[in-house]
This record gives sequence, C-alpha cells and structure tokens, in this order.
Amino acid sequence: MAAEYLAQQGSEAAFAACELTAACGDTEAISDWAVAALEQLGAPPSSTIESLARMAQSKNPLTSYWAVTLLGRAGPDAAVHQQVLVTLLQQSEDSAVQEKAAWSLGRMQAKSQEATQALEQAAQSPEVRLSRVAAKSLQQTKT
Amino acid sequence: MARKKSKFSLLMWLIFSGISGGGITGYLKPNIPIIGPLIAKFTDTGQNLTAGSGNLLTESASGLLGNQSSGSYGGSAVAGRLASARQPSNGQQQGAIQPTTAAGSQGNGNLLIASFNIQVLGQSKISKPGMKELLAHVIRQFDLVAIQEVRAKADNVIPDLVTTVNSNGSRYNFVIGPRLGRSNSKEQYTYVFNTNTVEHDPSSVGTVNDPKDLLHREPFVTRFRARTQSPAQAFTFWMVNIHTDPDEVPEEVDALADVFQVMQKARADEDDVILLGDLNASEKQLGRLGKLPGMQWTVSGVTTNTRKNKAYDNIMFQGQATREYTGRWGVYDLERNLGLSREQALQVSDHLPVWAEFRVWEAPPPTSPVGRPSLYN
Repeated sequence: MAAEYLAQQGSEAAFAACELTAACGDTEAISDWAVAALEQLGAPPSSTIESLARMAQSKNPLTSYWAVTLLGRAGPDAAVHQQVLVTLLQQSEDSAVQEKAAWSLGRMQAKSQEATQALEQAAQSPEVRLSRVAAKSLQQTKT
Repeated sequence: MARKKSKFSLLMWLIFSGISGGGITGYLKPNIPIIGPLIAKFTDTGQNLTAGSGNLLTESASGLLGNQSSGSYGGSAVAGRLASARQPSNGQQQGAIQPTTAAGSQGNGNLLIASFNIQVLGQSKISKPGMKELLAHVIRQFDLVAIQEVRAKADNVIPDLVTTVNSNGSRYNFVIGPRLGRSNSKEQYTYVFNTNTVEHDPSSVGTVNDPKDLLHREPFVTRFRARTQSPAQAFTFWMVNIHTDPDEVPEEVDALADVFQVMQKARADEDDVILLGDLNASEKQLGRLGKLPGMQWTVSGVTTNTRKNKAYDNIMFQGQATREYTGRWGVYDLERNLGLSREQALQVSDHLPVWAEFRVWEAPPPTSPVGRPSLYN
C-alpha cells in the first residue's frame, strides 16, 4: 500500500504531501497510514502549497486539518494563502481545524489585518487551547 | 513566569489528586470516564495492590483475552526470518547493550522495561502474515513494554497480539488507554507485561488530566510492582507513557516536566516515576523536562528510529529516586537481532524499541550526608 510505504520514508515522503493529505479522506486503513506519514514528513515542498491551500477548504475535517498543518510547516512561503486560514479560524466547525489554523498563521508569520484581527479575536476565546495558540501566533506575527 | 508554571504544576497535581481515590496517597479511580472500556473490564475484576501489603494481583486479563486463534504463520520473508532470530546475536547499536535473555528478568533477576512506538499498530498491521509473531517475539524480550501508536477502531488488536505473545506458554497481560487525539485520527497507549515478573495495580490505571490541553495525547499512567517472593520489598514504580506531537515538541516536553512532578507527588509512598515513550526529541531537546533536578535519560548518543538517523525515544526518571536502575540500557535493533532487511524492519515500525534494566528490589531512600541539606527533601 502506497500510504504505508510513504509512512516508512520519514521526511523523504514530503514530495507526496498532497497525495497523503488527500488520502486522509480515504478508508480507515489508508487514512491511518497517511496520517502516520504526514506526522513525520516535515515541511512540504513549495510546489505543493497551492494544492494544499485548496485542500485546506475540504469538507473532510481530517483532510482540512492536515492541509492546514502542512501550510503552517511551510512557514512564510505559504503566507500568500493566509486568508484561507483566516476563514477557517473564524468559520470552521471543527475545533481541531480552528486551532491548527491559528497555529499555522503564526508559523507563516501572517501579517495581514484580517489575520491579526482573527487571531486577536481567537485569543479571547473561552477555549483554552485556541486562546493560547492564537496568542502565541500573534506574538510570532509581530516578529 | 516561574510562578505561573508553579501554579500550573499545582493545578495539575490537584486535578490528578482529585481523580485519585484518596488524594495524595490514593489510587486513580478506575471508573472515571477518561478510561477506555477495556480498562474498565480489567479493573472490575482485579484486586488492589497496596504497596508493601503483600497482596498479589489476580490474573484479570485471562478472561478478556479468551482462546482466540493465533493467526497464520510463515509465508512472508518477515515470518521466515523469525525462526532464525531466537538467539539475539551481535545486535548492539553504538553505546547500547542488548538484552541478555529472551525472557527478561527470568534470566538475571532484573526487570527489563521497554518503550516501543509500533507505527500504526492496527488491524492491517497485525493481519500481515508473520507480523503478530514477530511483534510477540520482540515483546517477549522484555518484562514490561510501553507501546505507542495503537490505531484501531476495533478493540481486538491488542488482545490478539497478547494471545500470540502467550502462544508459547508465556503469561503476558496488558492494559490499554482510551483513544486520544485532537483530530478524528486517534491513538491509544498500552502496556504489555509479563505477569510472571511484574504486576500492575488495576486501580492505578489512568490518563493524566490536561485541563489546559497542552498535550495532544495525554500520558497514560499505571503503577507496577516487580513480582517477587517478598512484595513488601519489591520495586514499585509509576509508568508514564507518552507520544508527543511532532509539531509541538518544545511545548509538550515542557508540559511533561509538570506531569512528571505531578506523578512524583501522586502517592506519598512512591518515589519512582519512569516516563518513557516517543518524545520526538533527542536527549538534547528535552526542554524543562530534561532540566528537572536529577533527571536522568537512559538513551543518549544513539539513534532510535529504524532509518537510524533520528533520536526520538527515551526512558527517563530521577536518578537519585530510581536507584533501582542498573545502568544497562539499549536500543533493540530489529535488523540485526531479527535478521531483517531495512525494508522489512520498516514494515514492523519506523521506531526501534528502547529499553532499560531495573533491579526488582526497592532501593532504600537516599540519605543526606550529615550537615548537608538534601536537594530532594
């Protein structure tokens, strides 16, 4: 199985970041291995960022979660897509996706007014983790 | 900042104490909702272990494991290699010592405790021909194995694996934690242990509460005791099983420092806390956890992943408290010990087991030199 093979490759599986993210929406047997591969592959290649930004808007929460995570790992290279993450932070119904969007905005040092406002609002959330992550990301965007 | 951390530590301790049966000296309640259904089954049938009381535990897992079929053997290169791997040979990784026996403490009277991240340990993995047998062989090298990354919606994976471990007459048991994770992809921790050499306290099984949600997969804790003819003198210890989130390692290892201190205070009569697992960090990346007074990590200067380019896994404790540690530790090299190719070893896991050896007798508490204050009192 391809996802299992890629999970054995560590950071060398980064070239398949998009395919693995898409596989999160597959059957349990495949998505489990895809997640294992995604956990270890590190930052995605810049050539995948455009596709990951599209997948971040997937209706499948696990696909969205991992696309958002990889955009964050890409750092400032993915900052061009910060509005996608702002929308997810404000509107996603999945708290894990919201938290990852806040985390990723910090990692990519998102500096747009919309990003700052969304993070400031999230930092006031009663959800303890979302609030903490957003506050830390705000600090990162100011560096 | 230090005051803030201290407050957090206190909060964690209070919550931990709160779910314990009797505050600081109590056991964790077995029926709290954070504990999975298998745990409840264990704890319903087990008897409490009271340190020093001499009560032995019942074999609570035998009914749960049942007489399940042991699956197919052979047929794959992995299975074929197993037969020739009964006697571990020159399997040392630099700086590490290999287990000397295939039956843990039965060989030299000491306990071999291991941590093993078995990547995506689920139905698809254990269904591979020969895989259960290979994993069972590895588990039987140790008395107690803390396993990370059980990923299965069904509850049969670990019972099936333990049945295979016991297919040679061994008497291993297990406890397993709840499914954990922020996304809908969840993992479980489990402990698999040789009931001939170690026993667990069913009322001590639990998941550390994490009200600030600092840890992606909160540690799974259980208290164990070496099985000896004199239980009052036997080595007792907490095990704290952890798999950190690779995206938040610095934050999580700092939070684990608080967890460690909470566990040190969980029982007034227990000073031994062994924190082990996939930390996604080398010994140089342990943050505040590594800076706790007297903290000792066994795995150092070697890699622990199967591809042999990263150090992720470790076994940690406070050296002055856990003087039962013999100084022997190792990384169990799947390729060299089992005669596998790198590709075959990667099918088992992307991590290698790490292990450390402990004496079965409780070491007396450290005494302070006259006229000098103790660091730990």
